[in-house]
Amino acid sequence: MGFEVLLKGNNMIRLLTGLAVSLKISFISVAISIALGAVLGILMTFKNPVINAVSRVYLEIVRIMPQMVLLFIVYFGTTKALGINLEAETAAVIVFSFWGTAEMADLVRGALLSIPVIQYESSISLGLNRFQTYRYVIVPQIIRRMIPLSINLITRMIKTTSLVMMIGIVEVLKVGQQIIEANRKASPTAAFGIFLVIFLLYFMACWPISMLSRYLEKKWEN
Amino acid sequence: MKKNNLKKLLATTLTLALGAATLTGCGSASAKDGSAEQTSSEAPAAQEQSTDKVYRTLDEIKESGEINIGVFSDKNPFGYVDENGEYQGYDVYFANKLGEDLGVKINFVSTEAASRVEYLETGKVDIVLANFTVTEERAEKVDFALPYMNVALGVVSPKANVIKDLSEIKPDDQVIVISGTTAETYLEKNYPDIKLQKFDTYATAKTSFENGTGVAWANDNTEVIAYAIENEGYEVGIPSLGSQDTIAPAVSKGNTTLLDWINGEIETLGKENFFHADYEATLIDTYGKDYEETLVVEGGKVADAAEASSDASSASSEDAGAAASDAEASTEASSAQ
Amino acid sequence: MNLDVIISYIPLYIEAFFLTIRIGWLGILFALAIGLVVAFIMHFKIPFLSGIALVYIELFRNTPLLVQLFFIYFGLPKVGLSISAETCGFVGLGLLGGSYMAEVFRSGLESVPNSQTESALALGLSRKQLFLSVILPQAISQSVPGILANVIFLLKETSVFSAISLMDLMFTAKDLIGLYYDTKEALFLLVIFYIIMLLPVSVIGSFIEKKARFRTLGV
Repeated sequence: MGFEVLLKGNNMIRLLTGLAVSLKISFISVAISIALGAVLGILMTFKNPVINAVSRVYLEIVRIMPQMVLLFIVYFGTTKALGINLEAETAAVIVFSFWGTAEMADLVRGALLSIPVIQYESSISLGLNRFQTYRYVIVPQIIRRMIPLSINLITRMIKTTSLVMMIGIVEVLKVGQQIIEANRKASPTAAFGIFLVIFLLYFMACWPISMLSRYLEKKWEN
Repeated sequence: MKKNNLKKLLATTLTLALGAATLTGCGSASAKDGSAEQTSSEAPAAQEQSTDKVYRTLDEIKESGEINIGVFSDKNPFGYVDENGEYQGYDVYFANKLGEDLGVKINFVSTEAASRVEYLETGKVDIVLANFTVTEERAEKVDFALPYMNVALGVVSPKANVIKDLSEIKPDDQVIVISGTTAETYLEKNYPDIKLQKFDTYATAKTSFENGTGVAWANDNTEVIAYAIENEGYEVGIPSLGSQDTIAPAVSKGNTTLLDWINGEIETLGKENFFHADYEATLIDTYGKDYEETLVVEGGKVADAAEASSDASSASSEDAGAAASDAEASTEASSAQ
Repeated sequence: MNLDVIISYIPLYIEAFFLTIRIGWLGILFALAIGLVVAFIMHFKIPFLSGIALVYIELFRNTPLLVQLFFIYFGLPKVGLSISAETCGFVGLGLLGGSYMAEVFRSGLESVPNSQTESALALGLSRKQLFLSVILPQAISQSVPGILANVIFLLKETSVFSAISLMDLMFTAKDLIGLYYDTKEALFLLVIFYIIMLLPVSVIGSFIEKKARFRTLGV
């Protein structure tokens, strides 16, 4: 069935190292996305027409452009257009953050707008100042709403890292192909075993995170 | 409320139109950038490089202590990764020698066939040593050094249904090729009616061929010969197709310091029969002794090797330097059989 | 950018565009069918089947389409199960999409309040009538924004078809870059064609989403 190649040499460790590359890219990108997304999300609630117009265009681009297209444009396009030479991993982090920031911003904006005005009013009338209102009333609620969704974003990013192979990053899928290629003669059915194992590896990386996100969502629902 | 909705719709449409315009704007802006000084885009890449150097010179590479070399990581036995994660193969053996003689650490970058030119044009690697066949089109975008291997195209098919001539391919049959290889270009240009099934990596193309999705696989003949030797039930029905070409290292257009150094190195290595040693270290297990003189180009001199090659169409028996630009000269189908 | 190059590429992109749309929509229809069936199974807690449905949803929601396609297209033939690239493309998209659509339909079904079931039964509707004319229409209309979001997501996902040799938009662009090295032109057309394909869906999607939000929240 082609599982035996995994026991040869460092093959299994290499696959896991490949997965670690994917995870690294997604975690860095999520961290950047959360930070930038929070800022942009807050800006978007100001109802400034310029910010609104720009952010709408930005969100729409992210919504309709496949991440693979963005990866190609950033990785190969920027060097030609701007003369900046990007490492493949940097390009991937840029694209993922570009995408994640848009999603986070939209979520933050949605969460902010979903808090009824009456809460601000009540806080003020209770004698809290503006900072205290945010610190003790608004932000905790927003965080509760945001955390499950941002965790969800992590799993989507991990899944999307399967595309970075296309711009030459050696991650789990590429390592898998290398193993299949180096053992074509000895293990002709390696493609079955390797791809099944990669399928399961992705599942093992994403599933617990999805579960956590769902658990938190349920817990904080009310 | 209705009115409000309409307004919102209008706003969205406007923004989107704006979005599209911005994108288009971006596109044309970058275009201006590329061909600012010449309207013909025949060689915008060359133009860019002269205004804006993307490559690193020999000295800059030495100073940094590290060289980026683009190789295949899934093309056994030319460039692949073994079970310990080490790069191996004919190209890699040569790459290691270059790194050793330069006195720098090698950082191998895994490339795909279709992105090899792109990697050099954007300076993401210093040298491509990925079984890179010298062609005229490519020579417009990158600079090739002296050759180190002979190559032509070949077609392998299952023994049960060997294809000995391209005319045997039925209209519904599909031929597997790898995107960005000379085989693809050749078939697209000369046999536009043959249906191609294109893959972007060697690994996926070969696996798919094994799975029987195409009647034949067209690629460098070195590669298909190796495949037929290593895998039972396959035969190279067409061992030589198109022109006799060569494989050479490539650097970014205009990177003369590095190019000259590599050329000098290839000539020097020729004196110690380096590429024969390379062959014996990496290829002999696959090809045996028989192909040594056919495949290996020593010291950048292609002439003798081309004569030795039994099925060469003798298209490229010029001297080494000219071989680079003339390699694509003969595009006639010349099945050796 | 060279206009002649762009013009000469356009027919290739149009061909790829239709292939992408054809397989994309086939996959989406397949996904809707799977999604509905799975949602029913889970909603009515059909024994045994709902266990399978759960495993299916979790497996496909937590793995990338590219890996699913690699396994189906390259892996399965090794154990004797061969399917063509096109079939693999829409089956893969359908399986991935089905797991997302199922979630949407399920929450749509759950959004119909119990009181309606009770009232409908009190009014003398049969179980079948109750389901077909009371619950299902509401569940589907509740699901529309979610479905459209998934449609956009799935159409975007078609960009990975290139890995299994389907000449979709992404592959056409990559291939042209590899053949003629006109990177800018190839990428430019790629962006334009994705806009043509997805912008209308996205605009309709946001419009319907707003309408739906207005209906439920009044803002």
